[in-house]
Order: sequence, then structure tokens, then C-alpha cells
Amino acid sequence: MGVLLLAGCGHTQNALAPKSHQARDIASLFWWMMGGAWIGLGIVVALLLLSWVRRKRSGWGSDTEGDKPGERLGWFVVIGAGIVLPIIVVSTVFIVGDLFVIRTTQAPASTATSLTIRVIGHQWWWETRYPGTDAVTANEIHIPVHRRVRVEVESADVIHSFWAPQLNRKMDAIPGRTNVVELTADVPGHYRGDCAEFCGVQHAHMGLVVVAQPEAAFRRWLARQARPAAAPVSTEAQRGEGLFMNGECSSCHAIRGTDAQGYVGPDLTHVASRNTLGALTVINTPETLAAWIRDSQHFKPGNQMPAFPLGPTRIRELTAYLEGLK
Amino acid sequence: MAIATPPSPAAAETMERLERMWQSRPGVLGWLTTTDHKRIGLLYFWTTLVLFGAGGIEALLIRTQLIAPNQNLVSPSTYDELFTLHGMTMIFFFIIPMTTGAFGNYLLPLMIGARDMAFPRMNALSYWIFLASAIFLYTSLFMGMAPNAGWFDYVPLANRQFNPGSNIDFYCLGIIFNSIASTLTAGQFIVTMFKSRAPGMSFNRMPLFCWAQLAAAFGLLFALPALSADTIFLFLDRNVGTHFFDPSRGGETLLWQHLFWIFGHPEVYILIVPAFGIATSIIPAFTQRRLVAFPLVAIAEILVVFIGFGVWAHHMFATGLPTITLVFFAAATALVVIPSTIQVFAWCMSFVLGLARFKTPLLFIAGFIFMFVTGGLTGIMFVAIPFDQQVTDTYFVVAHFHYIIFGAAVFPIFGGMYYWFPKVTGKLYFELPGQISFWVLFAGTNLLFFPMHIVGLLGMPRRVYTYPSGIGWTAYNLAESIGGYLTLVGILLLLGNLVVSYFRGEPAGPDPWHGPTLEWTISSPPPEYNFAVVPKVTSPYPNWDAADREEDRRHLDEGVLVLQHGHEQPAVTPVDARFAEIVEMPHESPWPVILAFTLSLVFVMLVIHKYGVAGIMGILCLLALVGWHSKEPQES
Amino acid sequence: MTDYAAVPRTTEATDAAAVTRVVSQRVSKPAAWWGMIILIASEATLFGAFVGTYYYLRFNTVAWPPDGLPKPDLVAPLILLGVLVLSSLPMQIASRAARAGRLARTRLAIVAALVLQCGYFVYEIHDFRDQLHRFDITRDAYSSIYYTLLGADHGHVLLGILFNFWLLWKLARGFTTYRVNAVQAVTWYWHAVNILTVVVIGTLLSARA
Ligand code: HEA
Ligand code: HEA
Ligand code: HEC
Ligand code: CUA
Ligand SMILES: [Cu+2]
Repeated sequence: MGVLLLAGCGHTQNALAPKSHQARDIASLFWWMMGGAWIGLGIVVALLLLSWVRRKRSGWGSDTEGDKPGERLGWFVVIGAGIVLPIIVVSTVFIVGDLFVIRTTQAPASTATSLTIRVIGHQWWWETRYPGTDAVTANEIHIPVHRRVRVEVESADVIHSFWAPQLNRKMDAIPGRTNVVELTADVPGHYRGDCAEFCGVQHAHMGLVVVAQPEAAFRRWLARQARPAAAPVSTEAQRGEGLFMNGECSSCHAIRGTDAQGYVGPDLTHVASRNTLGALTVINTPETLAAWIRDSQHFKPGNQMPAFPLGPTRIRELTAYLEGLK
Repeated sequence: MAIATPPSPAAAETMERLERMWQSRPGVLGWLTTTDHKRIGLLYFWTTLVLFGAGGIEALLIRTQLIAPNQNLVSPSTYDELFTLHGMTMIFFFIIPMTTGAFGNYLLPLMIGARDMAFPRMNALSYWIFLASAIFLYTSLFMGMAPNAGWFDYVPLANRQFNPGSNIDFYCLGIIFNSIASTLTAGQFIVTMFKSRAPGMSFNRMPLFCWAQLAAAFGLLFALPALSADTIFLFLDRNVGTHFFDPSRGGETLLWQHLFWIFGHPEVYILIVPAFGIATSIIPAFTQRRLVAFPLVAIAEILVVFIGFGVWAHHMFATGLPTITLVFFAAATALVVIPSTIQVFAWCMSFVLGLARFKTPLLFIAGFIFMFVTGGLTGIMFVAIPFDQQVTDTYFVVAHFHYIIFGAAVFPIFGGMYYWFPKVTGKLYFELPGQISFWVLFAGTNLLFFPMHIVGLLGMPRRVYTYPSGIGWTAYNLAESIGGYLTLVGILLLLGNLVVSYFRGEPAGPDPWHGPTLEWTISSPPPEYNFAVVPKVTSPYPNWDAADREEDRRHLDEGVLVLQHGHEQPAVTPVDARFAEIVEMPHESPWPVILAFTLSLVFVMLVIHKYGVAGIMGILCLLALVGWHSKEPQES
Repeated sequence: MTDYAAVPRTTEATDAAAVTRVVSQRVSKPAAWWGMIILIASEATLFGAFVGTYYYLRFNTVAWPPDGLPKPDLVAPLILLGVLVLSSLPMQIASRAARAGRLARTRLAIVAALVLQCGYFVYEIHDFRDQLHRFDITRDAYSSIYYTLLGADHGHVLLGILFNFWLLWKLARGFTTYRVNAVQAVTWYWHAVNILTVVVIGTLLSARA
């Protein structure tokens, strides 16, 4: 099954490979600070090396009873390098970081954006809604490039943290609160992210991917996601639908346009259009979908969906139905 | 120089009399009832060392699980218990009790010229409670119910709804239990430093080690109650049905985080300040120079803890607090850097201006400075809020605090173990293996923790039991794990060296380093009464004041200032240390063990939800307290 | 320092006269007092955290107390508080009398304090149970912090009462320096508990505003 475990979807989540001006500001802030840090460390190491050069090799030598050679020089350095210099350095960091860069990473004013997305953390997946449309999806967040998107981060259970490092800082999803973060991608692409706050046994498998698309492609995608589910065509799929609706599946999952209205697991209206299953745990193929339904606990031990050790035909039927939900 | 050897037959007789008077009971019973700060210090030392081993094994299991992507060495839920216990053990059951309980206990009275702590029985009580709390916490592991929501245990994940087992009850009670021990230690350290210094040791003459312990003790005293309140609320929420943290009934999720970090941030400085104290003991000895800018360093030690109380929300930069709040706490965080830089440069200049002898203890201090500065500089980066919001809860933060904690709190502990080894055992350790152990540890910890910076920037969140391959994290994690094993090798070398030295080492004599402070004036190991005469103190480096030591010998000869009518010890006025009173110290008592035992029963009953029985056990505790106070000093 | 012969040896004092001598020679507070101050500091910080929580919850909530709950009573708690705070007076008298070596007076003052304290305590416990019938601790965050604060305070009063009984029992066998120090320390404990109670009751009554 190793092959199925997601090879990161081929994307990185490197905070130092920014793809938005927010992430770029943060990254260059980091590079400057790191340069400074090496200099600071250099000064200290230089002093230690100097003392090593002056070291005494053996014996305890004469006592320095009471007299403190070079005390004035010592005070001079302690005050100069230990008080004045850090004040300058730290104030610079503070002013640049907390008075300027912070503006770009702050929550956008509600008037400044033309698209709002609600991302709701669940143990252990991300519900994604596009207010104003019926679209509900999971773990894969599509946004148009070059557009400022307001992301409202909420939680349905415990604290999670929404984070796509190539685009912006992270934002905690806290029950009872709505936090806001901006996403603006400069180039189309898939940007991997993760839940960054420990949220239980499957915190490790609570990935997300932000798909930045050109405006037109995004609109097409959104329009399709907003539509109710496609009716099953083949008889196999129809039988699958019956299984889904009459079995336990519908108690946890919603499929818009059908009777399935569950809210425990992800909305499956267009599950087949997603690239991954289980919050980036496995790549979505007919085989993995079947395997997931049979035993999702194998891929994601402890996740909230029980295993369904159904017979091969039933699994095939269910899979056929879900595969039709493009 | 030292009065380790009696100057005259009369003095020898005096010392023998003191010896008999202060002698403790032999055998196990002697250890159970002891009130001798040195024995309690050793008990603390061994216990915390074992717990360090436990925390270290947990860490190595973590590292082995993460050595390659998609591994299944431990189950996800076991992994959660491992890192939670690792964090709790290292912080509450290793560093704090090691630096205060072990080093502080053993050395404070020796450095201030006292014969014991101000409250010797309370000191013993603190140890037994500490031991019981450690056993209590680790029982949960063997019952498969170890705390599993991280060492900062955020609600609602830790609340009953999402964590129905007893795991978090063990967390709450274990922490409260442990805080009692720490509070007792802190309280009696403060009183000891105020009341039991040698007459003449005014505050400006108190060694920096003691200043550091004082700062840590004040920090503990005022930080722990916030944690106690927090854990009490959580326990009530979980077991009584209150709604402190439940937003649907008017509670607040973030209340937990505020209270936790109001404790948690001061706590991290409490961890480090005693280590500063160890550094400021070793540096003067091995550079044979009084520390540069002594008053500034003393003030800085206090200030770092003080300012540390005002920065807590920098652990909550990503929670969506109002920007103005964040900026305020970032500014406070910027401020807290200054006392640290003062100290770093005072140490460095002492290295340069004195004549450094790079023996093992000083090597560890040099390594400590290197790692503290590295970790401190990443700390400064967090002052830039947007950057912190990018890397918080990733391995970058894990790198920051391990550099600071392992590099800056544990390295001085290792250095201190070498430095005071001759004092405690009377033997010299082996120098070359000592230096090798340093270099192995230095290489190991850097290999272990440096790549964490990179992997954090590459986006790896913390507290993940596994990670996917193909996003560039694999090689770094492998390197970290190898570094972890190398660290283990280094620690084993160090401990091995000390064990062999204990049996094979050369006799050390009272003062092998020509050390600056009072503990080097007496024999190694120190006699049970510590000081035969009340030492004269006119500077913070009394052992280098030859004339004063000469006067001590004369006093001993003449039987002046010997205080030999019982377990006597001088008490002084708090600030200028005028001789105020001669007090009789308690000696050997079974009550600390008894009280600690009854208190454990209370906690056991609480964790199995037998509240009525817990109440009865509480009454037993009160009875034990009455018994404790039944015998007054003059009756013994 | 050489005239250390003049320094008092605390433990010599086992009768009232000796005690007075030691106490008058003393130039600084005994360790017992310092120990009590440490205890008080730690407890006060704990209450600080409780009170901080109260206001934190309050300012994150719209209705305080929440709808359907009565505002806390004003008169009875204030009168009771007065009674309790009054007990600081006899405690202070006891402390002074003890240091002056006046045994009977010390005992009497402690008994007087105990009467006030026990009166307060019995009424408060009665009232506490009464209130629990009206609204439960599990109702909401307000009731949670309300009862936690009040309960913690009552616990401290109870401990103080036990301290006082213990003092009486100790003093039954006359004075020693040890016991005088104990009286002094317990007096400080009571002053602190009374201040804490004022703060706690004040906090709880602030819900009326
Ligand atoms: C021993 C413990 C210790 C110490 C001393 C410190 C010291 C500092 N810490 Fe650290 N910290 C932790 C332990 C510690 N920390 C832990 C355990 C956590 C994580 C908890 C968790 O989440 O589990 C943490 C997390 C943490 C955070 C939150 C990160 C996050 O979760 O997002 C922040 C944010 O501001 C921070 C900042 C600082 C700062 C500014 C210092 C400063 O005090 C550092 C000052 C030191 C120096 C600056 C070095 C001296 C440098 C020189 C002399 C060179 C010259 C320098 C200049 C010219 C400027 N720390
Ligand atoms: C004092 C603090 C301290 C110390 C010393 C350490 C030491 C180490 N830590 Fe840890 N660590 C924390 C405090 C500390 N840590 C905290 C607070 C957390 C956060 C937890 C959380 O997220 O909740 C953490 C988290 C943490 C993580 C992140 C886990 C995660 O987020 O998923 C990792 C991962 O590698 C790690 C590794 C290590 C390693 C390899 C060591 C090694 O350096 C350990 C080396 C030690 C040994 C190898 C022991 C050897 C000792 C003996 C053999 C003694 C034997 C003696 C007798 C038996 C008498 N630690
Ligand atoms: C008890 C509730 C529950 C039941 C019953 C249930 N599921 Fe799920 N399902 C979940 C949850 C929760 C998840 C999300 C798991 C995760 O990623 O952590 C999920 C995820 C899925 C996914 C992956 C969706 C995605 O986008 O990642 C599919 C497909 C799925 N379920 C299909 C089914 C089918 C088919 C059935 C019936 C045989 C079923 N589920 C029954 C709760 C349930
Ligand atoms: Cu959700 Cu971690
Ligand atoms: Cu902090």
C-alpha cells in the first residue's frame, strides 16, 4: 500500500518558496533576520575563540585576588554589545516586522476582497464552503490567481490551524470564533498545506491543497461544484446509490440533490473531482476509493469513519456510484 | 586555605563534636527521614536523572519513529502519549527539579555559608512529594492512559468530549501534585536566602548562583498558581461538569491558553536561570577572574524572570488575537532579550579578560553559550509577528526551544556535574574522556536540532507521528535521528566517566579548581554540618579572600562562632545580613514521608473519582501536619 | 560580629519571661513569618488567577450574570464580610499579647476571633448550599467561576479556623518562642484571608454593576 500513501502530491509546502506577496515578505524578512543572526553568532564565537587563543594551558597560575584586569573594557563591551546593540537590532526587527510586514499578513478588510471562502476544520479534514454558492467541498481549496481571497477559518470541534505556507502565515481555527486570513496567489499552481495545531490522533494526516487557477478556470470549477450531484447512469452505480442512501453512509455524508444529508464526514457531491482522499492521505483512484471505503482505518488509523468490510460486489457498486460524482 | 583540615587539636575536637551532633541515622531509614540538604539534593539528583532517562527514551522513540517517512513503529495514539510525556517529563520532572531540587539544594547552603535550609523538613517534604508525583504520572503510562494532548494540553482537545479517558485527569492532577513540590522548594529557597546567609553576606555579596536560584524561586512561586488554576478548571470541567472552557455556555477556549502561558513563559526562564547560575559559578573558577559586570549580571538574572511574566501571548500569535495585542506582546518579547544579551557578553568578556582554562566544565559552558545564542537568535526572530505566524507549530519552534533548553539548560547541568563532582564525591573525574564526552554531545545535539530549523521552514508541522515522503523532509529527519543517537552516546560517555571516576578517580582534596565560593573552603565531600565556624564573608568570592579564611581558622581554634549547642545555625537580617538570631534546626523526621504519602493517597483517590475517600485522606494529611508540628525544636 | 554572644538563642525560651526577652532582642522577623508570607504570596497569586478568570469570562460574555440568574445578594454578604474582617482585630491583639508574654490575653483574643470566624463560616456554608439549590455549578461559565471562587475562599477560612484551634491546643501548654512565632504567623494568615475574602466578595458582587 506504500505506493498509495501520498507522495506529497508532488508539491512542496516550503515557506521559503513563496508564491504570494505575503509569503514573499515573510521569506525576505526571514532571510534578513538570518543574516543578522549569523553576524550575532559570529561576534560571540569570535569572543570565545579569542579567549581560546589567550587560554592558559596548565596550572592555576597566579591568583587574581580582588583585582579585575580589564574590568572597564568589560563593562564597555557589556553595555555596548549587550545593551545598545540589541536595542538597535531588536527595534529594527520590531519596526520592520510588526509595523510594516504585519500589514500585509493581517486579515483583509471585508471590503477589500471580492471572494470569501469558509474553511471549517474537522477532526481530521477541512470543510470548504463558497458563500453565495451551493459549493461545498473538502481539503481542496480552489482560488483564482491574482485575486484577494478572504478565508474565514472556523472549527467544528477542536482547535486546528489552517496553513498554506507558500501563500501566507497560518491561522488557528478555534471553536466559537471566526478568524480571517488572506490568500492571494501570484501564479497558478497546487500549494500544499497542513493542519498546524495538534488536534488528535490524525493530526498528521490533515493536509490541504490550495489550487490557484486562472479566473476562467476557477469559475468553471466553482459552477460545477455548485451543481447537485449527477444521477447515476449504470445499473451498478444505481445500486451503489441505493446502498449509499439506505446504508450508514448517508448518516455521515451529504450528497447534494439526494437524501444524504449527513454532516460528520466530507460532502461527497463531487468527490470524484478531488485528487485525494482523506485530507491528502491517499491519491483518489477507483482502487483507492474502494480500499478507503472497505477500510479507511488502514490508511488513517483512528479517523472518524468506520471500516465497512462489505463484499466485493457492494464495494464495486458503491465505488461506481461515487466515481460518477465528478 | 580551606578549613577542611583542622588547624589545631582543639579545632579537631570541635569538628568531631559537630560531626557526632549532626550525624544522621545509618541505612535506608536514614535516607527516609533525612533533612540534610545534601542528601535531599542527591535524592533529587538520582531521581531526576532517571526521569531524564525516561524522557530521553521517549525522545529517542520519537526520533526512531520519524527516522523515515510513513513508518509504523508506534501507533499514532502512542506517539501522542510519547511526545506529551516527553515534554512534561523534561520540563516538570527533569530540568526544574534538577536545577533547583538537586543543584540548588546541594549547593545553596554551601554557597551562603549555612548548615541547612531554613526549613529542612519542608525540603524533605518537597522531595517526597516530587517523587510521588513522578510515580503518579508514570503509572498512567503503564495503565495505557498517559496524557496525550501535548505538554500545553489545549482545550477542547483535552476536555472530556474529545478525550474521554483518564489521560488528561492524570495530566491535571500530576501537574498540580508536582507544583506543590516545586512551590515548597521555591518558598524555602527564598526564605533560606533571606534568612540563612552567613552574617556579613549582604545581598551584594551573594554569589551569582544564588541570585539565579532566587530569581527562579520567585518565578516558580508566582508562575505556578496560574497553572494550578488552569488545571483545576480543566479538572472541574472534565469531572464536575463546569463550563470554564466551553464557548457554548459562556466559557472561553482561549482562557486555557492565556492561563497556561502566563505560567508557561515564565517557566521557560525559570528553566534557564539556574543554568545561568551554574555558568556564573564555573566561569570565574576556570578563568580565575571575578565575573565582568557583576551587578549588571545579578540584576539581569532577576529581570529576565520579571519581564518574562509579561510576554506570554507570544505563544498565541496565530490564534487571531487583535493585532494591537500581538504588537504589545511582541514589544515585551523584544525587551526580554536585553537581560540575556547582557549576560552573554558578560560571560564572553570574562572568558576573554580572564585566563580561560578549557577543562571539561568550561567547555560545556562555552558550548552552552554557543547554543544559547543560536536558540536566542531564533527567539528574536519570533518577535517579528508575521514570521512567527509562519513558523509557529512547526519544527522551527522545536529547534528554537531545544537549542535553548538542551543547549542552554542541559549543557550547564552537565558542566555543573563535572565541576562539582570533586566536591560531592571527593574524587577527580578523568579529564580526557570528559572532553571527549563534550565534543560528542556538542556534535550530537547540533546534528539533532539544527536540521529542525530547515525542516520547519520546509513546512513540517510539529506533533505529527509520521510524514509523507517526497516533500523534502526525509534526509533532515534522518540526520536528526542520527544526532539523537549520538546524543545518547555522549550522555552515556559522560555518565560512564563519572561512574568510573567515582571508583577509580584520584582524591580531589577540598579545592581542586581554586574555586571562588564557600563550598570550596570545606572538605570534599562536605561534612554533615557543612561549616565548623560561621564563615566570614566580605565579597561574593569568599574563597579568594585569604585573610577572611585565615580568620575563620582562628575562630575555629578559639571556639568562637562555632555554634555547637545543638543543630544551631545563625539567622540574619534579610538585606544587610546582620547576625540576628541563633536558631535550632530540626533534624531527622519521619513526618515528611508520611505527609507525602497521605497526600499521594488524596491524588490517587481523585484520579479514580472517589472524592469522598479523597476528602478523608485530606483529613489524614491535616493530622500528619499536626503530628509534624507536635515536637518543637527545644524539645529535641 | 564578634559580639555574637548578645545574639538571642531562640530555643532557650520556654517560658513567658524568656520569650519576651528573645522577642524584644530580635532585630528581624522569624523564619516562620517568612514562611507564612511565602504561603500567602502563592495563595494570593492563585486567587489572582481566579479573579482574572472571572473578569476575563465576564468581558467575553454579553449578559453577566447570564439571563435567568438573579444578581447576587448585597446585604447579607456584606454584613458577613464585616464580621469576618472584624476578626482581624482580635487576631492582632493575640499576636501582640503573645509577643508581650501575656498568655491569658492571647488565648482570649484567639477565642474571640474564633467566635466571629466560626459564625461567619457556618452561615456561609449554609448559604452556599442554599444557592446551589437555586443554580447549579454546572449551569454555565458564570456559575462555574462563581462557586469556584467562593468555595476556594471558604476553604481558606476553614483552614484558618483549624489553625486557630491548633494554636489554642498548643498554647494550653504555655509559651515558647515557637508558639509565639506561630501566633504571629497565623495572625498574618488571617489578615491575608480577610483581604482575599474582601476581594472575592467584591468581585462576585461586581456582577450587580
Ligand atoms: C529555556 C527556555 C527558553 C528560553 C530561555 C527562551 C528564550 C526566548 N524565547 Fe523561547 N521558547 C521556549 C523556551 C525558551 N525560550 C519553549 C519551550 C518554547 C515552545 C513552547 C512550545 O510551544 O511547546 C518557546 C517558544 C517561543 C516563542 C513562541 C513560538 C511559537 O510557538 O510560535 C517565542 C516567541 O516570541 C519565543 C521567544 C523567545 C525569546 C525572544 C527568547 C529570549 O529570551 C532569547 C534571548 C537570548 C538571546 C537573544 C541570545 C543572546 C544573543 C546574543 C548575545 C547575540 C547578539 C544578539 C543581538 C545583537 C540581538 N520562544
Ligand atoms: C528539557 C527539555 C527537553 C529536553 C532535554 C529534550 C530533549 C530531546 N528532545 Fe524534546 N521536547 C521538549 C523538551 C525537551 N526535549 C518539549 C517541551 C517538547 C514539546 C512536547 C510537546 O509538543 O508537547 C519536545 C518535543 C520534542 C520533539 C517533537 C515531537 C513532535 O512535535 O512530534 C522531538 C522530536 O524529535 C524531540 C526530541 C528530543 C530529543 C531527541 C532529545 C534528546 O536530546 C534527549 C537526549 C536524552 C537522552 C538520550 C537520555 C539519556 C539519559 C540517560 C541514559 C540517563 C540514564 C540514567 C539513569 C538510568 C540513571 N523533542
Ligand atoms: C461515522 C461516520 C461515517 C460513515 C458512516 C461513513 N463515513 Fe465516509 N467519512 C467520514 C469521515 C469523518 C471522513 C473524513 C475522514 C478523514 O479524512 O479524516 C470520511 C471520508 C470519506 C471519503 C473521503 C472523502 C474525501 O474527500 O476525503 C469517502 C469517499 C467516504 N467517506 C465514503 C463513505 C462511504 C461510501 C460510506 C458508507 C459505506 C461512508 N463514507 C460512511 C465519516 C463517515
Ligand atoms: Cu487539525 Cu491538527
Ligand atoms: Cu515564551
